[in-house]
Amino acid sequence: MSFFGFDTNLPRDRPQQGNPRGFFESRQDPFAGLSRDAADEGEVLDFEDTYDGLGDKLEEQGDAFNDDTFGGGPSVGKDFDFSGQTAQARDTLLEEQALHYARQPLARGPAIQSSRPARSGYESYAKPEYIPQLEANASLWGLPPKKTPEPASMQSQAPAASRKMMSLEEVEASMRQQRQSGPPPGMPQPARPAQDIGFPPAGPPPQNLPFTGTPQILQRPQSQHLEQPAVPQSQRQPSPHQPVQPMAQQPIQILQNPNLHSAQVPPQPSQGPPQQPAAFAHGRGPSYSGPPVTQAQQLMQMSESERNAFLAEEAKRAKRNHKIFLLSKNNGLMTPQDKNFITRIQLQQLLTATGNVEDQGPDAQLAEDFYYQVYAQIRGAPRQNPNQPLNAFAQTYLFQTGGRYGNGRRHPRGGDNHIQRMEQQVQRAVEAAKARPKNKQLSMEGSLGKIAFSNSKTPRPLLNFKNARPHSSHGAKPVSVADRKATLRDIENVYTTLMKLEDHERHMPPPLNDDSDPVAVQHHMEWRKDLHELNQQLWGHLKVMEPIQPNPTKPHPFIAILSHGKGKKAIPRIFRHIDDQQRVTILTIIAIHLDILDVIRLAYPNPDEPILPRAVRDEVELFSQAVMPSLFTYVNDAPLNIVSGLLGLVLDRVNVQAIIRTKVGVSILTMLISRAELIKQSCGGNVNPDDWTQWTQLYNRLFDLSEPVLPYIFSVESVITSDDVHVWQFLAAMGVGASPEQQQRLVLGVKDRVMETVGVSKTLPPDMANRKLGEVNLFMRAIGLDVELLG
Amino acid sequence: MADAEDVTANPVNEPLDLVRLSLNEIVFVKLRGDRELQGRLHAYDSHCNLVLGEVEETIYVIDEDDEEETVRVRKQNYDGVSKARRIS
Repeated sequence: MSFFGFDTNLPRDRPQQGNPRGFFESRQDPFAGLSRDAADEGEVLDFEDTYDGLGDKLEEQGDAFNDDTFGGGPSVGKDFDFSGQTAQARDTLLEEQALHYARQPLARGPAIQSSRPARSGYESYAKPEYIPQLEANASLWGLPPKKTPEPASMQSQAPAASRKMMSLEEVEASMRQQRQSGPPPGMPQPARPAQDIGFPPAGPPPQNLPFTGTPQILQRPQSQHLEQPAVPQSQRQPSPHQPVQPMAQQPIQILQNPNLHSAQVPPQPSQGPPQQPAAFAHGRGPSYSGPPVTQAQQLMQMSESERNAFLAEEAKRAKRNHKIFLLSKNNGLMTPQDKNFITRIQLQQLLTATGNVEDQGPDAQLAEDFYYQVYAQIRGAPRQNPNQPLNAFAQTYLFQTGGRYGNGRRHPRGGDNHIQRMEQQVQRAVEAAKARPKNKQLSMEGSLGKIAFSNSKTPRPLLNFKNARPHSSHGAKPVSVADRKATLRDIENVYTTLMKLEDHERHMPPPLNDDSDPVAVQHHMEWRKDLHELNQQLWGHLKVMEPIQPNPTKPHPFIAILSHGKGKKAIPRIFRHIDDQQRVTILTIIAIHLDILDVIRLAYPNPDEPILPRAVRDEVELFSQAVMPSLFTYVNDAPLNIVSGLLGLVLDRVNVQAIIRTKVGVSILTMLISRAELIKQSCGGNVNPDDWTQWTQLYNRLFDLSEPVLPYIFSVESVITSDDVHVWQFLAAMGVGASPEQQQRLVLGVKDRVMETVGVSKTLPPDMANRKLGEVNLFMRAIGLDVELLG
Repeated sequence: MADAEDVTANPVNEPLDLVRLSLNEIVFVKLRGDRELQGRLHAYDSHCNLVLGEVEETIYVIDEDDEEETVRVRKQNYDGVSKARRIS
């Protein structure tokens, strides 16, 4: 197909024209130089080398609208002006081409890429006589192209041009030259502001935008206009009224919005086209003398005011253009090929960073972005199949932009999120409690409340100052060096196994389905066996199952592991790899040893030293960030009997009145109580009544134990500086499940703090006061009150 | 990664592995030139280059005034992560 009326003959077959390659000159054939050296004349172009494959995508049937697209009349003729007509369709063409290039590497794969040397943009320089590309670009800026002096007779150009290819504009110019050797057709057209000269009108006669010859991905669409300034320059010079030096006018069109421009232009027949080639051809032929006269006439024809306005506008424009010119000084530094070259490098880097690892297996992919992979694994990014690097790449962006919270319930959440969820859970419990019909609560809770009141097993302790101090005999001994070293060793073992496990998980074979072949099944079985072994290994290293000594001389090994920061950090990673049974075991161990956990043991408030040492605070923070979410996630799904069991263990084995005064202790209690409340509300009748009775007993025990210390569970700091959100959460959780009588006792216990907080918050800045009151309200609402009532 | 694969049951196979036990712990480093560091160990390598955080550096300077030598102690705190080289 020859859309543009090109002569599709091979150069050697073409009789008259000496510029064989025309349009395709810009698509440099990397081997052309070789073949040319070998056979000087009749250079053979291998079609396959120059052909970019675009043609394969053409629909041969889709010719119906060719005329609309390319504006071709019945006869195309030889007087085409590629740049004029096609410029209108050019954006689409560029787009298509860019698309084509973008698809190519994927479609063809790297092998083809290598066999087909990419154009670097520098091939042209291999040709000894190479200049033309630069020259063409120089003309973009309106500099008179310094051409090798050509004889005026372009008609006989073939011999003179020797081996040098003609650029497209030259070809067009010469062809038009031939056509116009007669009188210049319909040139002078007045009623058109001079500044619009040179813009391609929408009108029929194609014109004046010589195609720059190299369609490139990055080429700006405007670049086609760059040639224009040559025209105004030549036209304006004769005009006496123009105060601006021509240089300043050169980049006129560079930054102008073409659309805007064309909107101003009244439909006009061509004026530019004949001039443009003339400007390039250095005053050859008759067509040159015409335009300036026209310009002057135009100016003369204007009225005085019009002319003044025009000139003022012109001056303004010139000023602006000068600015643009200064700004755009460096615009032409890179040829389109250069840009293309760099784009390709960048694309290739992108591809190697993500796409091509596909061929090299998961290991290479892992090596490429190890930390992302591990991160995604830990965060639980949806990763269906390990062999999907491109997908993973895409997910990086999805991951960043949204859907952060939708990643499956089982995975640990971030610390903030965890706290939020805790708060939400308490709040939900509170709301549900409020929604509950009142008398049912009264009848049920009321009787139970009496039981609690008359419970002789746990009498209300009247003095508690002894209990508030941790027992020094209970695991608080300084850890010996040997023990410490052993613990550190344990931790390293855990991490080693963890890494093996995580690596093993990355090698997970594709999931089985019904028609998997035996080899895959076998593979899968082996993988599972290894996984199980590693899991057992990890479990062993954790030392959770070490016997619990009744009177320990040193802390339980697992608790010792937890006392190190890195041990805490390992918990979320461990929880991913162990089953529920193991999780509940860990939880149990922690529950039993709550008061020897470092974050509790060292964090008891001390009136002499209201602010905990920084190291302890850091550890507490770390525990809440790393360990609590894992525990919370488990408890959040646990049935009532497990929650009861845990609370029972805590009550039996641990000094609740002590741990309740620490942040971690209170958080764990809150976690258990609020979960129980939620179960109660969500499936009230479905739970075994025995479980309920057991839970209620436990709750009452906890209540009785904690009541005396209620005034002391707040941090020792002043109301203003303290951060007691966890305490209010605990109180809220307690309040929801409490009987009216218990609620009253609860209120009595913390009344002072409530009143103090409300009072203090009046003196605080509004946002801080709101926060404080909100915390208090969390509790107040749980027992059906509101701080507003106190105000 | 590869290292972790090779280590079997015991994480300590060679002397330098003892340093591994102290990762993420507060370590005390004695440097030449009467300098001491105390900080959290983030990373180390086979040359015992160390990456420490929250470091407190102690420098002992001997003043030789009046023929009487007094040891002056200067302490500096580095909150960020810093690197220590040349232990010997």
